[in-house]
Amino acid sequence: MIYQRVFLAVLLLVCAILAVIAFGYHAPFSYEPVGPRAYPLLLLTLIMAGTLYLLFRPGTITLGEGDEHLDRHVLAKITLCVVLFTIFAACYEMLGFIVSSFGFAVLMGRLYGGTWIASLIGGVLMSIGFYWLFDRILDVPLPLGILSSLEF
Amino acid sequence: METLSYLGQGFGVATTPFNLFTALCGTLIGTIVGLLPGLGPINGVALLIPIAFALGLPPETALILLAAVYLGCEYGGRISSILLNIPGEASAVMTTLDGYPLARQGKGGIALSISAWSSFIGGLMATIGVVIFAPLLASWAVAFGPAEYFALMVFAIVCLAGMAGNKPLKTAVAAMIGLFLSSVGIDSNSGVYRFTFGSLGLSDGIQFVVLVLGLFSVSEILVLLERTHRGQKAIQASGRMLFNLKEGASVFLTNLRGGAIGFFLGILPGAGATLASAVAYMSEKRINDQEGTFGKGDLRGLAAPETANSASACGSMVPMLTLGVPGSGTTAVMLGALTLYNITPGPLLFQNQPDIVWGLIASLFIANLMLIVMNVPMIRIFTKILAVPYWALVPAIAIITSIGVYAVHATTFDLFLMIAIGVIGYILRKFDFPLSAILLGFILGGLMEQNLRRALSISNGDLGILFSSPICWGVWALTALMIVLPMLRGWRRRLRTVRAGG
Repeated sequence: MIYQRVFLAVLLLVCAILAVIAFGYHAPFSYEPVGPRAYPLLLLTLIMAGTLYLLFRPGTITLGEGDEHLDRHVLAKITLCVVLFTIFAACYEMLGFIVSSFGFAVLMGRLYGGTWIASLIGGVLMSIGFYWLFDRILDVPLPLGILSSLEF
Repeated sequence: METLSYLGQGFGVATTPFNLFTALCGTLIGTIVGLLPGLGPINGVALLIPIAFALGLPPETALILLAAVYLGCEYGGRISSILLNIPGEASAVMTTLDGYPLARQGKGGIALSISAWSSFIGGLMATIGVVIFAPLLASWAVAFGPAEYFALMVFAIVCLAGMAGNKPLKTAVAAMIGLFLSSVGIDSNSGVYRFTFGSLGLSDGIQFVVLVLGLFSVSEILVLLERTHRGQKAIQASGRMLFNLKEGASVFLTNLRGGAIGFFLGILPGAGATLASAVAYMSEKRINDQEGTFGKGDLRGLAAPETANSASACGSMVPMLTLGVPGSGTTAVMLGALTLYNITPGPLLFQNQPDIVWGLIASLFIANLMLIVMNVPMIRIFTKILAVPYWALVPAIAIITSIGVYAVHATTFDLFLMIAIGVIGYILRKFDFPLSAILLGFILGGLMEQNLRRALSISNGDLGILFSSPICWGVWALTALMIVLPMLRGWRRRLRTVRAGG
């Protein structure tokens, strides 16, 4: 319950800051009665009103089947997963799709309970297979990065 | 009766062996493309236009191919919604609500077959609807001005909050967040940059694909991590793959209602399919949810949005063909394909080139039929996705997701944005905020603001225009009803518990 209140308070704060920013939006010249700031301001006010109400009466959280409250181990793993994702995104163009997705797939495979061998095989198959499928067949351009000298 | 003969002609063209084979290939390709998260009908159709052109297919065959790919993608999107809880596109959001719980109960096969069957009924109803109402439809779509649209959007949002039952306020807040997110980016009316914080990546607004994949795909990956940690395995679809007669009969009335709603809302250009599936789901929940099974794996909750969806897919062809107004990204791409073949959609198309119009309608119908013929035997294969262990499935989903996001702008900024949205989505999910509401709010948001501002521009700032036509009055009355009814019901329930307690 306390976490939810903290979250709602943060949401409220963010909305307030955004509202202050939105208040400054002004069209240099305008040919319509509603400017660019009315609509976001209206919504932010409504969100803040709703959040305030929830802050005082948060209600109960119903857990889905098989879900439990988080403990420290899960939280650590989730942080690790997000970090992996971020590194993947950062390397995406630099190292190119094949290399970065190979590393990402291996580590993610390990994180999700695969053995080293299985994750490695999965990584090789996925990085090359998806590159071939998307870049060559489906015409979705993907960066080659450090492998760009191999362009064929 | 003229329309009937045209339709017959259309079917004559569509049922030649070559065209039937094309439709079969189209549905197969469409299903596979739609199955990949982040790639939807837009990609599928856009992918095949140059191929169709390069192969030198005659216009009617090309149209059949495109219609088949369109419907195939729609159906493929259902597979990932139901089995993985990742909706590929906006109109599949409602499918996850009851589809995913069904898959978690091991009824993935039944859910997929009900979904295919419902889509078929929806498509069938809409085809019949187009034949009967075609002349009336154009005028109905034109009768919706900006003010009417705005009222309709408000109605949809209110419905959404009312639908949530036990947490209307959280749903409302989530929908507002979605509505707000749509205002990020350059304001098309005044050119003011809103909430971009000087970032070039945000100046274009938040892309739909980035939002949907962040909210659903990334947060689902994190939830799967929790489950792996606890040693849970995916629940495999077992036993029957097909629904039985009893289940089919139990959703039949739902199918009929969903088809009607889908068809009429699908005609409206704009958020037709999304609105249709949302409204169909909500009204079905209103009518049938006495035991509170909706959202926990009720077949009717799956059938309603599915029927509405496919009915509106056919319905959305109407504004495209009669007004030349594409109702969605996909119809916009198809519009492009039509112009490639020197066919100009617009008011005169029905008079000048009826064979093309009815050929397209007939091919939609054929594509629907093909889907059910082809996909029902393949359901067993699709449900095998659930048998893939997490260590292979999750990296695959993650990488395909990243490709889908990267394909939008080819910038890594979108990848970072997706991760951020995913983390926030995961937190929101933990606190019981419905993510589907955010997504629907986001889709309706842009249209809502545009229409509000357009309406007020017309009236020069007078709010009276929002209440000036009979359609407006009707929609506002329904909105009021939607707000009052749940309150009344809650009040009566409280009264009853007080009485029972006393």
